[in-house]
Amino acid sequence: MGYQQNDFDFLDSSRKTDKEQIREALTYWADTWRRLKKNKMAIAGLIGVILISLFALFGPSFTDYEFAEQHTDFANTPLRVEVYEISTDLYVYLTPAYRMIVVEPDGTFLYRLDQSGFDFANKQFHFDYEGEDVMVDYSYKLLDELADENIDYSITFRGVEYKVPYKVTSNKSYPLGSDNVGRDVLTRIMYGARISLEVALFAALFSLVIGVTYGAIAGMAGSWLDNLMMRIVDIIDSIPLLLYVILIMVIIDNKGLGTIILTLGLFYWVGMARLVRGQVLSLKEQEYVLAARMLGVSQPVIIWRHLIPNAMGPILVALTMMIPTAVFTESFLSFIGLGISAPLASLGTLCNDALDAIQTYPFQLLAPALMIALMMLAFNFLGDGLRSALDPRLRKG
Amino acid sequence: MSNTILDVKNLRTTFYTHMGEVQAVRGISFEVNQGDVLGIVGESGSGKSVTAMSIMGLVDEPGRVSGGSILFMGQELTKLSDAEMNEYRGKEISMIFQDPMTSLNPVYTIGNQLIEVIRRHTDLDKDQAHARAIELLQMVGIPEPEIRIKNYPHQFSGGMRQRAMIAMAISCSPKILIADEPTTALDVTIQAQILDLMVRLKNQLHSSIILITHDLGVVSEVCNKVNVMYGGMLMEKASVFELFDSPQHPYTLGLLKSIPRDVTGERKRLVPIEGTPPDLLKPPSGCPFSPRCPYAMGICVREAAPLYTLSDTHSASCWLHHKGAPVVEGFVQVEEESVHE
Amino acid sequence: MLTILLIATVTFFMMHAIPGGPFSRERPLPDEIIAALNEKYHLNDPILKQYFDYMVGLATFNLGPSFRRTGFEVEELILLGFPISAKIGLMAIIIIILVGIPVGIVSALRQNKPADYFVMFIATLGVTIPSFVVAALFIYIFAGVLQWVDAFGLERPSSYIGPVLALVGYSLAFVSRLTRSSMLEVMRQDYIRTARANGLSRFKVIYKHALKNALIPVVTYLGPMVAAILTGSFVVEKVFTIPGIGKYFVQSVNDRDYTMIIGSTVFFAVLYVIMVLLVDVAYSLIDPRIRLGKKSE
Ligand SMILES: Nc1ncnc2c1ncn2[C@@H]1O[C@H](COP(=O)(O)OP(=O)(O)OP(=O)(O)O)[C@@H](O)[C@H]1O
Ligand SMILES: [Mg+2]
Repeated sequence: MGYQQNDFDFLDSSRKTDKEQIREALTYWADTWRRLKKNKMAIAGLIGVILISLFALFGPSFTDYEFAEQHTDFANTPLRVEVYEISTDLYVYLTPAYRMIVVEPDGTFLYRLDQSGFDFANKQFHFDYEGEDVMVDYSYKLLDELADENIDYSITFRGVEYKVPYKVTSNKSYPLGSDNVGRDVLTRIMYGARISLEVALFAALFSLVIGVTYGAIAGMAGSWLDNLMMRIVDIIDSIPLLLYVILIMVIIDNKGLGTIILTLGLFYWVGMARLVRGQVLSLKEQEYVLAARMLGVSQPVIIWRHLIPNAMGPILVALTMMIPTAVFTESFLSFIGLGISAPLASLGTLCNDALDAIQTYPFQLLAPALMIALMMLAFNFLGDGLRSALDPRLRKG
Repeated sequence: MSNTILDVKNLRTTFYTHMGEVQAVRGISFEVNQGDVLGIVGESGSGKSVTAMSIMGLVDEPGRVSGGSILFMGQELTKLSDAEMNEYRGKEISMIFQDPMTSLNPVYTIGNQLIEVIRRHTDLDKDQAHARAIELLQMVGIPEPEIRIKNYPHQFSGGMRQRAMIAMAISCSPKILIADEPTTALDVTIQAQILDLMVRLKNQLHSSIILITHDLGVVSEVCNKVNVMYGGMLMEKASVFELFDSPQHPYTLGLLKSIPRDVTGERKRLVPIEGTPPDLLKPPSGCPFSPRCPYAMGICVREAAPLYTLSDTHSASCWLHHKGAPVVEGFVQVEEESVHE
Repeated sequence: MLTILLIATVTFFMMHAIPGGPFSRERPLPDEIIAALNEKYHLNDPILKQYFDYMVGLATFNLGPSFRRTGFEVEELILLGFPISAKIGLMAIIIIILVGIPVGIVSALRQNKPADYFVMFIATLGVTIPSFVVAALFIYIFAGVLQWVDAFGLERPSSYIGPVLALVGYSLAFVSRLTRSSMLEVMRQDYIRTARANGLSRFKVIYKHALKNALIPVVTYLGPMVAAILTGSFVVEKVFTIPGIGKYFVQSVNDRDYTMIIGSTVFFAVLYVIMVLLVDVAYSLIDPRIRLGKKSE
């Protein structure tokens, strides 16, 4: 083994290289953000939340429709339309309910043709185009001998029968189709998402206010008042809440936004109150709080000042998790006919409205339903991610 | 030596975490002979528990024994499968842990857990195992064992739970009993009783003990040999007498100095030496103690010292024992040949 | 018992706090008719007498006539719908327990392996997607596109698949997630290390020592699970048009059939309280530290 010249000289203290790397001291939030960034699901959730919010907030300004704007002529149109060219520069589209609409070559709806006759025996519809007759023969699916043709109908105009569409294209007028009174489904989902988000956000904030106040009072008061207040919380916890939310909604019988926000907030503050009380209790024990107290600062002031920064993390998580709960409850209530109702519409209302026609126009139900699912997923992922990013047990890593 | 029961050679245990390899144990060697009470001391995080778990074959994902050998009565343990290891665990080598409050399953009775272990390793039938369980509880000093056997852990005090743990551990008369800080969670009078019990049972059953502790006072009372660990490495191993009489490693010296000389005889936890233990994720290339060592030399930073054999029972890993090093009072220097490994 | 009394009282007074009374509708009825109706339903009696009568009725399971479905007593409607709902609910509960717990265990034992990721992905979808979305998707795919099952009613055995699936969704996912995380938590416990250090086989360690402990939080969820299934049944029975108690309830909510609403709410609440009681019993069977009524430690 070869030794070097200075190997057996003592190191002076300045040369002693302290190999410990000092990990960058990060602030609480920077550290949280650093760990949140590593969590793919959480980032997916965050992006989802941002996209959904943008969609709900700004989406409506990019559509040509108001959310309650009806065009009964164009009711119940699907996502894709078959355009037939029945004459030079005359393009038509036949809706599933056998209404004939004159369209542009690219599929934009122009106007509806009046139905001029209906020949039940021959399974034919007649429409009137500027005095000329357009005939639709829908016997193809109904008669066995015509089954081979494998089409639903044909259109005859000026003696020529058109069996094959000129082209099948997406619905240019209504990107996600229209509903039973000809409202744009996309626009309605945007507004619905906005309403659902509004309700969820305000309900969460409202319950936050109640929860924080209640929890802080209980925690600071201590003794019998604390006991009593926590007993009440226990009792509220032991009843099936949704049932009572339903009951309150029945009683108030006002399906406005405010009502549902208040009702949801009124019931979902319990967890927050527990959390805040726990934080207050542990804060009360802390030395700096005792110290500040000796200096004559009143206890509520101290607690308030220290509570917010200390409890911020868990409260944020609870808030994020409360939003999907509120979205769910709101859509549930609207779905059973208790939540938001006309003229407003939340996603739940949209689902409820579309339920009757689920067999014929499933997309009118699927679209808002998927939107709800997306919202819940995004917020849950984000909440889960936040929770683990803030978990003190995992903080070291 | 013929009565060597456990021979650990150059053991390495590494945790392959997503942040990198944590080398918790980095090449340590020692033997346990029949009748020994071997103490392992060292600061928190020095790899004592990981060493014990490696012997038990209980190192969990993402960790594993990454090198070296563990010979138990001539049998290589590191090569055994988990199922094969189960024939040794609880029967030939058993272990008790630091926290008796959480080390027993809360939803089963003491008797149930004890009998389960007995029947796992013997051919006794239910009644015989039950009788044996009562006998064991009696041996570890639990009063009214016939009644207590039906109790759940939460009905036992901390000391009684640790006694029950010991009963379980000795139920099959193991050759080695590993105790990882068995008394840290207990109060002082109970500590003494438990240690006393362990040593008494060891003698009765002709087994040996590996006692992991922070408490040099305990070491001086019950152990005959000591391993001093730091940063996953063995700094010094010696008989108890040699260690306390003439420590040959600056770290050991530091440890001994940090024992509070308390006239009441009450022992306290070690007051750590200045500085913090090394980050085992990126261990320093040289001696792990060099950043904190008052005698650190140029070579210490570059390369860890070999284990210098100072007597039959005493060796230390420190460059000060090299004949080229400056002479420091109390530290002996040896010839190059007596280097061990 | 006290809880039930409390629930009944609160519900009763809540319903009587409605401004305008039960017969106010969009189109007002003539005064004489309202008077006659009030007479018929004893709404002119002093409120305390009404309350007392109601409580007596409750004790004898006599919940009064339905406001809107003339000729039907509330308890008749409940008895009519309950067996149907209970059948579906019971199937759901059995599936949740028999599938959710094993899936959670397997997932925990394969932590961070593909199977675990897959199961947890599905479970996350399950807890986040509302039951009416599941129901709608199911109807769309299996009744609409594939035409394998009926969309409505319960005529054929296959008709049960959809409702049970929609009902099971949330709780099944929740139970598997809960079992998984609880199992992972338990596997880290000291007593598991003890069991392993004593040479017990992996099978015994998992299925004797870990499982029983891991089930404790799962058992606590059984109460809320019943509540979730109950409210789930409102949606599911509405979507699949099943004549169960949930559908009656939603209907009564929509037509403001007050006696029916009170009756069913109290009925649900009682059911829930009984379930919570059963859970307590199950709890004390599993966890010796808890003895009925008092918690030690
Ligand atoms: N599962 C694990 N994953 C990653 N690193 C681990 C794991 N278990 C232990 N380690 C690392 O191994 C090193 C040694 O740990 P060990 O528990 O053996 O210390 P110890 O000497 O027993 O300390 P104490 O006195 O606190 O019990 C520590 O640095 C620890 O971070
Ligand atoms: Mg340890």
